[in-house]
Amino acid sequence: MLVEVLTAVFNLQIVFFIILGVFTGICIGALPGLTATMGVALVLPLTFGMDAIPGILLLIGVYVGAIYGGSISAILLRTPGTPAAAATVLDGYEFSKRGESGRAMGISTVSSFVGGVVSVIALWLISPQLAKLALRFSAPEFFLLAVFGLSIIASISGNSLAKGVLCGALGITLSFIGIDSITGYPRFVFNNINLLSGMSFIPVMIGLFAMSQAFTTIETIFTPDQVTQKITKVWPTKSDWKVIWRQAPISGVIGTIIGIVPGAGAEIGAFVSYGQAKRTSGHPELFGTGIPDGIAAPEAGNNGVTGGALIPMLTMGVPGDAVAAILIGALTVQGLQPGPLLFTEHTMLVYSIFLGMFVANVAMLVLGLSSLKLFVKVLSVPKAILTPMIFVLCVVGSYAINTNFFDVGVMLVFGIIGYFMQKADISVSPAVLGLILGPMAESNFRRALLMSEGSYTIFLSSPIAWTFVVLTLFTLLGPIVGDMVRKKRQA
Amino acid sequence: MKKANFIVSGVFSTFSLVVIFIAKGYPPSNHGVPGPGMFPIIIALLTLLSAIVLFVKTLRMPAASDVTIDLKSRAILNVYVTMGGLILYIAILPLIGFVTTTAVMLTLYIRWFSRRPWWKCILIALLFTVGIFVLFGTVLNVPMRFGLIL
Repeated sequence: MLVEVLTAVFNLQIVFFIILGVFTGICIGALPGLTATMGVALVLPLTFGMDAIPGILLLIGVYVGAIYGGSISAILLRTPGTPAAAATVLDGYEFSKRGESGRAMGISTVSSFVGGVVSVIALWLISPQLAKLALRFSAPEFFLLAVFGLSIIASISGNSLAKGVLCGALGITLSFIGIDSITGYPRFVFNNINLLSGMSFIPVMIGLFAMSQAFTTIETIFTPDQVTQKITKVWPTKSDWKVIWRQAPISGVIGTIIGIVPGAGAEIGAFVSYGQAKRTSGHPELFGTGIPDGIAAPEAGNNGVTGGALIPMLTMGVPGDAVAAILIGALTVQGLQPGPLLFTEHTMLVYSIFLGMFVANVAMLVLGLSSLKLFVKVLSVPKAILTPMIFVLCVVGSYAINTNFFDVGVMLVFGIIGYFMQKADISVSPAVLGLILGPMAESNFRRALLMSEGSYTIFLSSPIAWTFVVLTLFTLLGPIVGDMVRKKRQA
Repeated sequence: MKKANFIVSGVFSTFSLVVIFIAKGYPPSNHGVPGPGMFPIIIALLTLLSAIVLFVKTLRMPAASDVTIDLKSRAILNVYVTMGGLILYIAILPLIGFVTTTAVMLTLYIRWFSRRPWWKCILIALLFTVGIFVLFGTVLNVPMRFGLIL
């Protein structure tokens, strides 16, 4: 088995695709306005004609590269290339002001690598055990798992819980479109043949994440970003290495744990790691003034999320973040269903993903340390040329899934909706959770009632089910109780 | 933000009522197992409740914490024009063909956004369009030959 996996991953074609993915990802991540989710969504159509292993590893390469790449513009331009690098701006730009941008990027590169590797180890160790446990799940447990996943919307709704719920409910409602899987009854199809098989969620994701972001870029299309810094001395100094080894593994673990939580992405991983580093530091007042800890922690934290997000995705079909949601789409296109059976029926693919993700992190380290000047040049690519090209990629990507122009229309509609949702301060991530977990919740709920002949006690009939009920209550009530305690303390 | 919240609340309330109205016509539960309309109705009720909560919270929002959303500035108008152009592009794409429509669309947008000389815009647009056409049409076997021209 090990030999088969090594042979599968370490062949020229696969390594080429991983490096290509990481390279593309770093370029996408480095450009402000292009997020990791957008990058993976744009590259996804290229994998339709590929085999599963190179296709998925190409996307994972983009994911790993883009999360790291965001730090380049965060350090140089004070503008995070991706939301995941927002915490890196705080200390990273201070380095640039002192003319030490190369040093900052060196710390960022090595820390991202350490965080990424920690998450791959966790992925390798935890996933098979979790998949074994998930094999014991039946309809009630899967329903409660989906409800737990949906309850996370409460935590990722940003400033307004009501808006988060509205957005999540919109995603779930979209998932109702098409023929009902239990009764075969067509729902919300309005005599449109294109809607019978349901709403293809990849065009929706391309619209919500890529097209809407491109529209946002138009607002600043006539104001170019300029890099004036020269990159020198990328290799971290002796004292920087000490900081990296002290900070990055812990932040990698924090990022991995956050990645496992459905819906919580790299941005949260970075900020929590930054906060933790500041809290436990002997000199918290120096954070924000340009210290290596302020780069090592968020960068290891956000790359730690990458492996963590794949754990629930591969073992239970629940996305850890928006990119993992797109990867579910990529696996589905390949005829593979994420979940515990993936570990028994496609073991080779699963372990190739683990190893490939490790190779992607190594590629990121090598490319980051050797080619930073090249990636900095990417920042000079004018948005005025890049943005129209993104429009074309969105259109072709949506069309290529089913060679259907209806999907292109769906993509554009959701691009426009996503743009206005951003304007109204509504996070689009809950919609993705709803779109993926909605059908899982509904079909398993009804299947469970079929099994129990209508008795609702089936949902509390096993310790696993109870665990999910407790976790869901904790997730839903936790923020409310926390708020009440905080208000009481303030009073 | 207040105005936007009221609009969001109104749109989602209407949306949920339409969903409930349609889903009520679906077959009923059978032997204790919910019919195809039950889940849509539950989610629509949740939507309606959240929309009402948003409405009430926005009503109580102090005027001082209200933030104006820019929907009319020059930068935003550029976005609307771009959206309009893309709607037109997607509408005529299947009729005329990928290469012609995309090359024209790209040329116009690049010229507008970058103000480069026309010949540069046409060259960039043509190279990118042909590159995508070959990549998807030949390498990835996506049928890209459609429309009256190409």
